[in-house]
Amino acid sequence: MPPLDHILIVNAVLFAIGAMGVLTRRNAVLILLSVELMLNAVSLNMVAFAVYGHVDFGNITGIIFAFFIIVIAAAEVALALGIVVRTFRNRATANVDEVNLLKW
Amino acid sequence: MEDGVTATQVVFWILAVVMLVSAIGVVTAGNIVYAALFFIASLAGVAGIYLILTVEFIALVQLLIYGSAVVILILFALMLTRARERPQALFGRSRPLGIAASLGLLAALIGGIVATTWTTPESSSAIQPVGLQAIGDAIFTIWIVPFIIVGVLLSIALDGAIMLASPDEDDN
Repeated sequence: MPPLDHILIVNAVLFAIGAMGVLTRRNAVLILLSVELMLNAVSLNMVAFAVYGHVDFGNITGIIFAFFIIVIAAAEVALALGIVVRTFRNRATANVDEVNLLKW
Repeated sequence: MEDGVTATQVVFWILAVVMLVSAIGVVTAGNIVYAALFFIASLAGVAGIYLILTVEFIALVQLLIYGSAVVILILFALMLTRARERPQALFGRSRPLGIAASLGLLAALIGGIVATTWTTPESSSAIQPVGLQAIGDAIFTIWIVPFIIVGVLLSIALDGAIMLASPDEDDN
């Protein structure tokens, strides 16, 4: 098994890459992909803590959390893509900086 | 864990490099479809790391839900929302600021991880694999109410997505 801090550092890098995608992309679907990368990093972290700690602490809650995160991410993707498709139909763009109806 | 580099660690680092390089591909690719394909590779790397952590169930869920359902949804949305008349710039104006902010976030996270003393089991033999039965017992006893709620949430969200994306009568 790799040491816990190696896994945590790899996940931190993955999280930062996802954050970079969220902050630099302008296509809504690509921003969503980057958010999924960040969610993956977090659930991988939770699984790592659960696997390294369940002998000492006697529970595997982190694994259950990762399971719920994956399920909720599926719901989130479906809903967000529905919104993106609707936005594209109404405003003919999928770029978040061109959807500025509430900005003045 | 301290007795040199084991085969598991080598596999872990190979998977980690695949995962991170594909993730960089997701956020820097100049083509939307390439970004989605890089995303699939990155998900496969994450699933492999789940396997290394002896959690086969989460690896399977990852491949089934992310690797198939979510990726297909995203590819559909990419094809439905592509503007064909003009090439699109894929990066916003605040790109240097975003890169700087994410590098700062990375430095803060790694600083915190390195500065913390992690009390992990001393030898790798102390790390027991988490069996499928333990996960099933936990989900269907302690976590049964959140499990049902998340099922209801998922069906409501999917209904809402269909409602959002379906055409109105006064459209077109």
